[in-house]
Amino acid sequence: MKKKVIFSILFFYFLVLLQTSFFVHFCPEHLNLTLIVIALVNVFEDRKENFGIFSAFIGGFFLDIFSEKTFGYYIFLSICISLFIKFIFKKYIYAFQK
Amino acid sequence: MRFLEARQIEMFDKKTKKSFLVNGVGNLKFKAGIVIFILISFFILNATPFSKVLRGFFYSFSRPIQEKLWEKGKFISDFFETLVYARRLKEENEELESKNRELITKIAELEDLRKENKILRRALELDLQEEFDLKICRVIGREIGADYLIIDKGAVDGISFGVPVITQDKSLVGRISEVYETISKVQLLTSKDSSFDVEIFEKEIYGLAKGKRDFKLLLDLVPKEKELKEGDKVVTSALGGNFPRGLLVGDVIHIDKPDLTSFQTAEIKPSFELKELSSVFVIINFAK
Repeated sequence: MKKKVIFSILFFYFLVLLQTSFFVHFCPEHLNLTLIVIALVNVFEDRKENFGIFSAFIGGFFLDIFSEKTFGYYIFLSICISLFIKFIFKKYIYAFQK
Repeated sequence: MRFLEARQIEMFDKKTKKSFLVNGVGNLKFKAGIVIFILISFFILNATPFSKVLRGFFYSFSRPIQEKLWEKGKFISDFFETLVYARRLKEENEELESKNRELITKIAELEDLRKENKILRRALELDLQEEFDLKICRVIGREIGADYLIIDKGAVDGISFGVPVITQDKSLVGRISEVYETISKVQLLTSKDSSFDVEIFEKEIYGLAKGKRDFKLLLDLVPKEKELKEGDKVVTSALGGNFPRGLLVGDVIHIDKPDLTSFQTAEIKPSFELKELSSVFVIINFAK
């Protein structure tokens, strides 16, 4: 678990660095790769785990660090995305898998 | 026995229910606590300079990595951009080259018009238009190895055989030797087949000018007793009827007085420069 946390912190740190310094030359201006990765983590996560919310928090935190917006904006946004995906999956997808 | 079993199940259900309720409330409180904590943290971070300090720490810590990533990203982006836009650049280049050629052509046309305009102005100053019925023509070629010019006007423009061709300075260039539909050939006065009567300006000395090719002209049949000087102006005479009187032919530059004949000869330097001859006037109403 510890390893997973450290890995995700480092992963999102470098992802945000790449997004703000490297991919900024190729990707469209409004394409937020970190938010896409957060969404993907939540989509492909096991239904019993809650690591997606933690990932959303870490990703949002680093996005907040490297952005000029009010601190907490991306944390809030990414957690909302994470919860929304979980809600959709719980209500519409897992329900049918039973 | 059955009663006991039923009682045990009822007790278990109640405990489970109670436990669930207790845990549920506890979980809710915990979640609410976390949310409140996060909100307070955000508020503190934004209200105090701590967020700035935190960001500053991460910026300074990440700067070397960001610099490297930025450079690499820019390099790769430039590389791919070059590949992607290479075709478009080629097309743009071709388009610009085409436009450039068009503009060069237009500039050349305007330059020609400017020259023509200048010549016409000069002609107006000399009242040439009043004296003769002139047609301005552009020189479009020179026949190789012979003293002939090709001009851009022909029979459709009223050009006829034998009519004189002059410059804007009223200098004689030659006469029309061949007329086509849209172009004509001008036999220069220096042509080997050219000979016409001339006179020395203000001296009443008459002679015959003969073409010697290669832009050379000879003054012949001038009696030896007549005083001829280098620098004398030679103009056309009305005697032969080939050209109107008074057109400038050139300057006497070298006089030769052979012992065996009774005439003196002289070399005439034509009054126009062939290289500078871009436009000429044809006297279309001249009749021999």
